[in-house]
Amino acid sequence: MPDTLSLSQSQPQQHAFNPYTENGGTILAIAGADFSVIAGDTRQSEGYNIQTRYAPKVFRLTDKAVLAVNGFAADGNMFVKKVRQRLEWYRHAHAKDMPIRAIARLIQTMLYSRRFFPYYVYNILGGIEEDGTGAVYSFDPVGSYEREACRAAGAAQSLVQPFLDNQIYFKNQTPAPGTSFPRHLPLSTVLSLVIDSFTSATERHIEVGDGLEIYVVLAKNSPSIQGLRDVRGVSELTSTDDGERVFVVRRELKKD
Amino acid sequence: MSIMQYNGGSVIAMVGKDCVAIASDLRLGSQALGISSNFQRVFPITDRIYLGLPGLATDVTTLRERFRLRVNMYTIKEEREIEPEAFAHLVSSTLYEHRFGPYFIEPVIAGLSKTPTGGIKPFIAATDLIGCINFAKDFVVAGTASAKLFGVAEGLWEPDMEAEDLFETISQTLLNAVDRDAFSGWGAVVHVITKDKVITRKLKARMD
Amino acid sequence: MDHFPTNWGRPRNDAYDAYGTFPLPHRPNNDTKDAFASGVQRTQQPIVTGTSVLALKYKDGIMMAADNLASYGSLARFKDVQRLHPVGKYTVIGAGGDISDFQYIQKFLEELIIEEFTSQDGHDLGPAEIHEYLSQVMYARRSKLNPLWNSLLVGGFKDGKSFLAYVDLLGTTYSASTLATGFGAYLAQPILRKEVEGKETELTEDEAIRIMETCIRVLYYRDARSIDKYQLATITADGVKISDSRHISTSWSFAEGIRGYGAQTQ
Repeated sequence: MPDTLSLSQSQPQQHAFNPYTENGGTILAIAGADFSVIAGDTRQSEGYNIQTRYAPKVFRLTDKAVLAVNGFAADGNMFVKKVRQRLEWYRHAHAKDMPIRAIARLIQTMLYSRRFFPYYVYNILGGIEEDGTGAVYSFDPVGSYEREACRAAGAAQSLVQPFLDNQIYFKNQTPAPGTSFPRHLPLSTVLSLVIDSFTSATERHIEVGDGLEIYVVLAKNSPSIQGLRDVRGVSELTSTDDGERVFVVRRELKKD
Repeated sequence: MSIMQYNGGSVIAMVGKDCVAIASDLRLGSQALGISSNFQRVFPITDRIYLGLPGLATDVTTLRERFRLRVNMYTIKEEREIEPEAFAHLVSSTLYEHRFGPYFIEPVIAGLSKTPTGGIKPFIAATDLIGCINFAKDFVVAGTASAKLFGVAEGLWEPDMEAEDLFETISQTLLNAVDRDAFSGWGAVVHVITKDKVITRKLKARMD
Repeated sequence: MDHFPTNWGRPRNDAYDAYGTFPLPHRPNNDTKDAFASGVQRTQQPIVTGTSVLALKYKDGIMMAADNLASYGSLARFKDVQRLHPVGKYTVIGAGGDISDFQYIQKFLEELIIEEFTSQDGHDLGPAEIHEYLSQVMYARRSKLNPLWNSLLVGGFKDGKSFLAYVDLLGTTYSASTLATGFGAYLAQPILRKEVEGKETELTEDEAIRIMETCIRVLYYRDARSIDKYQLATITADGVKISDSRHISTSWSFAEGIRGYGAQTQ
């Protein structure tokens, strides 16, 4: 009897504190010729618990850059806060907004500086390049990044990305003889694909749903503005009047 | 890594207008190593029923023979061909017999069943490895690329497609899904079952 | 009998996961054997704990509720503890989790309020500022792997606007018109959402009290770490009010009819 007692006392039961959790949700971005679309759902969850039906994952950084963050929400919010702080310092030093390719490199150094205690966040940066083209940059949690035309990340990445491969890159499709596939899709097509992607992900993934926020960044004097005017639920967020323009489209998703 | 992912492979089935389709990749692997690009995992059961067996390759062989035996016994006893609904329950009960030491297979069933009025009705179903049946009205998926198949199928599928449209939809769904899956791919085969014939086509796919 | 297969073969940690309700990936894996474990000061675990806190938005502002129990494991150790705490003139915070960590939070928030007051700059801290400050503290502590082991609700009313938000030991934050921490997230939140969502600007104080009573009663019936003594706080244009301890009525007559669990002879 004394033996068993001392045995149980000598090994106090302990567990390490886990500083991470996963908060679900999915984000996605698609670049057009002179625009960029960045979207995310608004559900925040932990395990089977829906914490809130409205917690934004997509943030306007400048009039030409929008950042979507997905993974551990506390890290995500802190990361956006720090990126914004660095962009403000840049503004004070240079009297202009940081170009998007510079923001992308900034994000990579900020992520890599936490290489051994990472921000558990997948970032997708969308916006307009200095040459007026639409851009999407995607990152892993420790800063690997590349510029591409489209990217999905988060809980339903595996559902959405192959769909986008097919519909954006026309993978596994051959054009009719004598024709070719467009390199960039028009804004209306891109918006339809984004909405379809999220309704599909909502249907088959429990961590996706509740609401959808689609940010649209238009290059200076982009003709795509015409198609955006009559989109349901659109509102403008632009802060200046002679440059790129930022819009957000808000939609409902199923709540079950 | 789970035993379900050891050999890789994926299967999908879809319903169309008076037709069904079932498709699979052709890869056999040993974890990340590719072994064969011509591994059959979809089998005809009757003229109007096809069965896909994604999962552990050794159990694919075993179960194919088991189902051949049991369908033959059924045909002899009943003196008629088995219907897809009955076959789905046969699959289910066969797997459930091994509830606590299962075959590592998630079968997918596609077929056309006869209606009392003499017509035909498309039928698809899938079960988990212990025989829980999912009767779906649209599509069923299984295997290592199942999440990707769900995503693409949910985006591309629509009701009442004719045989040729159904072929295009299931082919695109499968190819784009397995191209994002390291354990599936290396070629594909599609069967479209219609009232008077079964169209089988092999698809060229990415070989990386 | 532990009905959660993921817990089988693992020592139970009552203080950390009293109900075995943590999401599967986050279940404590208590069986890892670290040869140097005894030489390392591990962060901590909650010792004296409070259970759920509930809050909702209603017509006049925010209502918050929490019972008066502080548990020591499964022992109902302190039965007259206040878990709702006013901060400044416009805010109440409610805490679940470790009570001593909560008292430390009360202390530094009090210092913060005094500091802000003495500057006499014509500004004072509202609920949004206090929540932001708390979030930064909680996140900073988790980043040092030395968390304040709490789930906190921050409710307030300032400049005609109500505010309600959550923050926990990981620094996770969110906001909604109804919030519940701990076991309340499972038992009370569905009731709160059904009763409140879409009616935030119509609910009267009496209706809000009735909803809170229902939730507290459900929790008392099913949450073994709760008691039937609780307090209500309201934060409105009239300021902060925290009620005296109240008693929730319960009925146990149905227990007579239950057969099969106890030691009945018939």
